[in-house]
Amino acid sequence: MQRKRECIVLIDDDRDFLEMNRRLLEEKGYSVSCFDDSDEAMRAMHCIKPDLVVTDLMMAGLDSGFKLSQKIKQDPMLGDVPVIIVTAASSLQGFSFNPHSQGEFESLNADAYFDKPVSTHIFLKRVRELIDKKGEAGRER
Amino acid sequence: MNDDTQVLVVDDDTGIREGCCRVLRKAGYEVHSAGDGKSADDLFVRNKNFAAAVIDLQLPGMDGIELTRRMHAVDPDCVLLMMTAFASIETAVQAIKQGAYGYISKPFTPDELLLQLTNGLKKRELTLESRSLKKEREKSLLEIAQERSRCSTIIKCMADGVIVANTDRKIVLRNAAASRIFEMYRADHPQEASCTEPGSVPLPCPVSALPCAELIGLIESVFKTEEEPVIISKEVVVGEGTYMVNVSPVTEGDGTKCGVVAVLRDITARKKLETAKSMFVSMVSHEIQSPLAVAEGYLNIILNDTVAADEAQQREMINRSYLRVRALREMVSELMNLSAIDTGNFVIKRSFININEVVRCAVECMHEKAKDGKIDLFFESTNGRGSENGPVVRVFADKNAMFIVLKNIIENAVKYTPTGGSVRIAVEENGLYARIRVRDSGYGIKPDEKCKIFDEFYRSKGKLTAGIPGTGLGLCLVKKLLELQEGSVSVESVYGKGSEFTVCVPIER
Repeated sequence: MQRKRECIVLIDDDRDFLEMNRRLLEEKGYSVSCFDDSDEAMRAMHCIKPDLVVTDLMMAGLDSGFKLSQKIKQDPMLGDVPVIIVTAASSLQGFSFNPHSQGEFESLNADAYFDKPVSTHIFLKRVRELIDKKGEAGRER
Repeated sequence: MNDDTQVLVVDDDTGIREGCCRVLRKAGYEVHSAGDGKSADDLFVRNKNFAAAVIDLQLPGMDGIELTRRMHAVDPDCVLLMMTAFASIETAVQAIKQGAYGYISKPFTPDELLLQLTNGLKKRELTLESRSLKKEREKSLLEIAQERSRCSTIIKCMADGVIVANTDRKIVLRNAAASRIFEMYRADHPQEASCTEPGSVPLPCPVSALPCAELIGLIESVFKTEEEPVIISKEVVVGEGTYMVNVSPVTEGDGTKCGVVAVLRDITARKKLETAKSMFVSMVSHEIQSPLAVAEGYLNIILNDTVAADEAQQREMINRSYLRVRALREMVSELMNLSAIDTGNFVIKRSFININEVVRCAVECMHEKAKDGKIDLFFESTNGRGSENGPVVRVFADKNAMFIVLKNIIENAVKYTPTGGSVRIAVEENGLYARIRVRDSGYGIKPDEKCKIFDEFYRSKGKLTAGIPGTGLGLCLVKKLLELQEGSVSVESVYGKGSEFTVCVPIER
């Protein structure tokens, strides 16, 4: 039986990152939708119902990625979609982007963080893990 | 010992007068004499240095009583000793009433005269001394009062807030700045106005009434510290402001702690600056890391064959990396220019230059780019379109800086104008300024973005302009460069229709 292609939404205001990550993920067989605007992405996600979201952190605002992530987590339809935040700024406003504790991690509304450019191998592994975890949780329900 | 003490002897009887003079001179006094009241009075008024006078009661013309009265009026400290042959209580009282020190009955021995005189002079000396002591005391009291009022004036006028609390944890002193700090806090928090507020409450009021728990804690910890005088310094937030608070004990001479003094320095502006600085550093690091990450990512894909890509795709990835790295280099150079301007190291060499020439150079630079985008780029000087030998418009500016300014603005116009559009540049003289207007038929600027586009790293982020490369520093640089040359830049725009940037530089006069 052929498995349905998992869908990933990419959000970044830098077209090169969209392109680069799209290529990486499509190569692995994912279906990828790209957006350069978080509001537009939010609207589209209600139709796409993605299996995973990868968003840039600093877009229109310094913390657009966090806000988007929060919106997704609070959305009744998208609440279980894992979110990966990628950023070119490794530290910002006294905020470490490599959260040390699980508590710190959870308070940031995202499931994983990656510095740009993502280290391909680890990034793809994490994407797989998060999608699988979501799938299991879905089946259990 | 009596060398400098001057005594006046007044008697119409030459024998007694000379006798007295002799006795007194022998005793060391400097003696002057007069034979009648009138000349004695004149002498007394002229000299003014007499410490004592020996006066006969019965004098021709002005009598002794009258002379005594007048002399006493001139110098109340002068010891006036009356001589009388007819000593009576009545005359003595009368003389003393007029200011005499005492009287001596004729005939008298030299010793009697000297004794009376010495006593009188001693009394005079004591009077003078006590008066000078009193004066000194008054003077030092005045000085203390002045010193006190000076101190309190200084404290009152200090820009830093000062609060002094005694060991009963009562605030016994606060200056105007301290009141302001807490009054401001109250204004920001009207719901807390009901609580005892030290800005308005009369002193002394309890320390605990301060509307800042942190400050109360600091004061308390200084009270509790047993060690040698400590100063506790901490940044404390009161309402909207941030204050550097220094709390130290007030000690008496023997080291006993009798209170605590807190000085609050407003560092709000500095904090804001620090925040702005760290924001800027974050922005810079983000802007530098992004293109590097793109280049690294693309090159990694090609080198490690992570993604299957044909030669054309690989070429495109390399091209994108190249463009991003080049843009990064441009950005770093702009950043360095900005930093040079901010630190005052950007050398502006203003001279009289033909601005038309600079505009032409900048236009030529953008020619290729405009052609690629099929954009009609043209430069019209005041007397006609694109004339090679257009009029000379001399401005007082730095040629190099003006080139950077104009190139940036024209490049922006070309970049933000869609294919088939136009960019027109015109130079005109307008009073004291030359105006260079760059008008495009591009995407335009939203009204709320108009004031932001000159900020560092601000880039318009719209659907239409998302793919346009840029550093977000160009217009910021333009603005700063023009400010250095007494010039200015402004923008008018209709979103979706186009923009017009106007640069003004002082003209040669």
